[in-house]
Amino acid sequence: MAPDGADRVLEIDSVRTFYGNIEALKGVSFHIDRQEIIAILGSNGAGKTTCLSSIVGLAPPRSGRVVYEGRDIRGASTDSLVRDGLVMVPEGRRIFPALTVRENLRMGAYLRRDRQGVKDDLDYIFTMFPILAARAGQDGGTLSGGEQQMLAISRGLMGRPRMLLLDEPSLGLAPIVIRNIFDTIRRINQEQKTTILLVEQNANLALQVAHRAYIMTTGLITLSGTASELLNDENVRRAYLGG
Amino acid sequence: MTQAPFSVKGQAGPASAAAASGAPGGPAAAVHAETAGPSGLSGPPAAPAAASPGSKAALLRRLAGELRAAVISAAWLTFLALPLVVFRINSAFGKIDYLWGRLPKLAAVTFLATLAWRFLLRRTAFSRVKEAVSEAGGPPPEGARGPAGRSWLSLLDRAPAKKALFLALAAFLLSVPFWTSPYVVLILITALIYITLGLGLNIVVGVAGLLNLGYAAFFGVGAYTFGLLHSGLGLGFWACLPLGALSATVLGLLLGIPVLRLSGDYLAIVTLGFAEIFRLVLVNVDFTNGPRGIRNIPPPSLFGIDLNGAVKPFLAGKGLLHPDMDLNKVLIYFIILAIVALTVLCVYRLENSRLGRAWLALREDEVACQAMGINRTRAKLTAFALGSTWAGLAGVVFASQITFISPASFDFMLSVMVLSIVVLGGMGSIPGVMIGAAVLILLPEYLREFQDYRMLIFGLIMVLMMVFRPQGIIPGTRRVYLYSPSPGAGGGAAPSAGDGEGQGEGPAAPSPAGASSAPAAPAGPAAPS
Repeated sequence: MAPDGADRVLEIDSVRTFYGNIEALKGVSFHIDRQEIIAILGSNGAGKTTCLSSIVGLAPPRSGRVVYEGRDIRGASTDSLVRDGLVMVPEGRRIFPALTVRENLRMGAYLRRDRQGVKDDLDYIFTMFPILAARAGQDGGTLSGGEQQMLAISRGLMGRPRMLLLDEPSLGLAPIVIRNIFDTIRRINQEQKTTILLVEQNANLALQVAHRAYIMTTGLITLSGTASELLNDENVRRAYLGG
Repeated sequence: MTQAPFSVKGQAGPASAAAASGAPGGPAAAVHAETAGPSGLSGPPAAPAAASPGSKAALLRRLAGELRAAVISAAWLTFLALPLVVFRINSAFGKIDYLWGRLPKLAAVTFLATLAWRFLLRRTAFSRVKEAVSEAGGPPPEGARGPAGRSWLSLLDRAPAKKALFLALAAFLLSVPFWTSPYVVLILITALIYITLGLGLNIVVGVAGLLNLGYAAFFGVGAYTFGLLHSGLGLGFWACLPLGALSATVLGLLLGIPVLRLSGDYLAIVTLGFAEIFRLVLVNVDFTNGPRGIRNIPPPSLFGIDLNGAVKPFLAGKGLLHPDMDLNKVLIYFIILAIVALTVLCVYRLENSRLGRAWLALREDEVACQAMGINRTRAKLTAFALGSTWAGLAGVVFASQITFISPASFDFMLSVMVLSIVVLGGMGSIPGVMIGAAVLILLPEYLREFQDYRMLIFGLIMVLMMVFRPQGIIPGTRRVYLYSPSPGAGGGAAPSAGDGEGQGEGPAAPSPAGASSAPAAPAGPAAPS
């Protein structure tokens, strides 16, 4: 429990991350409470993905604090965080193309030892995404883009995350597929009680599912608020929502 | 090399999707349509190349192109080889002979060889297209077979046939020493040692995708462990067998810890360098006896029975044994046979285990693996060390078989040989590696007739193999696809092309098709959608 009463899952505090000499995050701070969906919005190169990489240790921050469930996880390895229920679905889906859909999903449950639980979760995913059930024996690489994104999210879910980090789930997908993906995100949040951090360029849709959002520009958080506040904000509308 | 597992499907996929949907499909299908011609869409294609109108002109043009290519390569090679072929120093008279007469012969041979080569290449590419098209075209007969390459293999999947074949093979292998000559047994021992090595390296290279060019060093460690422990402490074969495996594993770990941060080519170079260091240390250090090696390494014992003294007369008397057969070698043969069986079992179990899946995944995408909670370094290290274990085991048996080891036995060529076995046989495929080892070890023996040319022929076969069947003799397929046609479903569209971004979404979504449709099996009733 965080000091202010709310169940704070993740808090990052003045995090600065560098790629070589380039400062990608210039002191970013935000927090997520239990069962929230938070969106981080911004244009290309704003540092959204770096934010996620800094949290999961793929791009360790040079200074600042990353506190997950009350513990500073700065410098922890990506794979050890999965054990603690912090799972990232990386940008560009990154499924294993030569493994079957079922094997891809099994990889998501790599660290789990409860066979029955894994089986139940597999069933849950197959009922949520019947298309994945139909393609269970097929190589992951033969799926379409939307199916691959569903697979990537499902694979993340197979680890029974307490918190799920989604990096641009709408990337390169058709609008109708994107809508489907966002419905799923909302559903996961409600049914699985999973806290979700969503990084997106598609601000319009992201704000429709998220509870709160942060807007990033060039390595800094420039605006934050609840989704409805941001949707009605004149500046946000002009800059990110196309009018 | 890593895409070998799905190259078969990759070729079958797009074409079948195009033919099944009855319309020009994605971009991949268009590429095939160019070669397959319009006949690809209507019924079973008989001769796709000759179908299009005005093909005569195209044919002539193509022929001209082929001829030009052949002339160019002939001219080029003639120019390159000119000093080698034409000039000959006549040392007796201190002058140079010019053998111009050889030049036209060389040009003619090159010209014809180029034509033949290009024809073969074209035919291979063509037959692949035809295979893919015919697979999707006509309705498959009852009990249909997969594409030609798979049909005889799929026989093995049927349980009774598999069992019978396995029993026959086991009986054959177990009986071999009792009706063949010592020479055959020796060759078989060598082949089996290489099978063990190949299977071990297959874990590292084929499954985990770590290119290890220093495998000979781990083999050498096993052999030297036995040699040194015997000459120093008097330990026997059975004590040294696990110790040799263990020391190879430990060495694998020690090398792996600093080195596995590297990937791809860098890893290959470091392992290559490591093996050279290992060999040079063996040559230059005193306690290994330097280049003179270690002699008189004993054969394995069998409960203290004097095999050649006590058992051999009995067996030979009954006509069950070649009179010159060394029963110690027979024992080694059975030991290595058991080791191979054990290896196959272990590798098979490993490949289908959680760890094996992690290795496969690691080969494909390291970042995604980390996101799954896989400890990258640890998984790689396990693969590296486990792969080395088998080399250690094989090394002990090897030392015991040839009774004399020296650094020269563990040079770079051995690593290359084992790697060739894995690549030639088919990466990640257990039967592939076994057949690859058999071919690579037995082929030079058959080619002994050709004396000096045998390594040349050997190399040529390797080159041809890589050109015409790059995925190996038996490509690694881990999964069996079951095809269950569901009525009403426009089945064929399911295994769409690899980049199914655009075309997969439309036709695929409404088909709840067979739970596991088969890219390998016939693509079902080709219903035009």
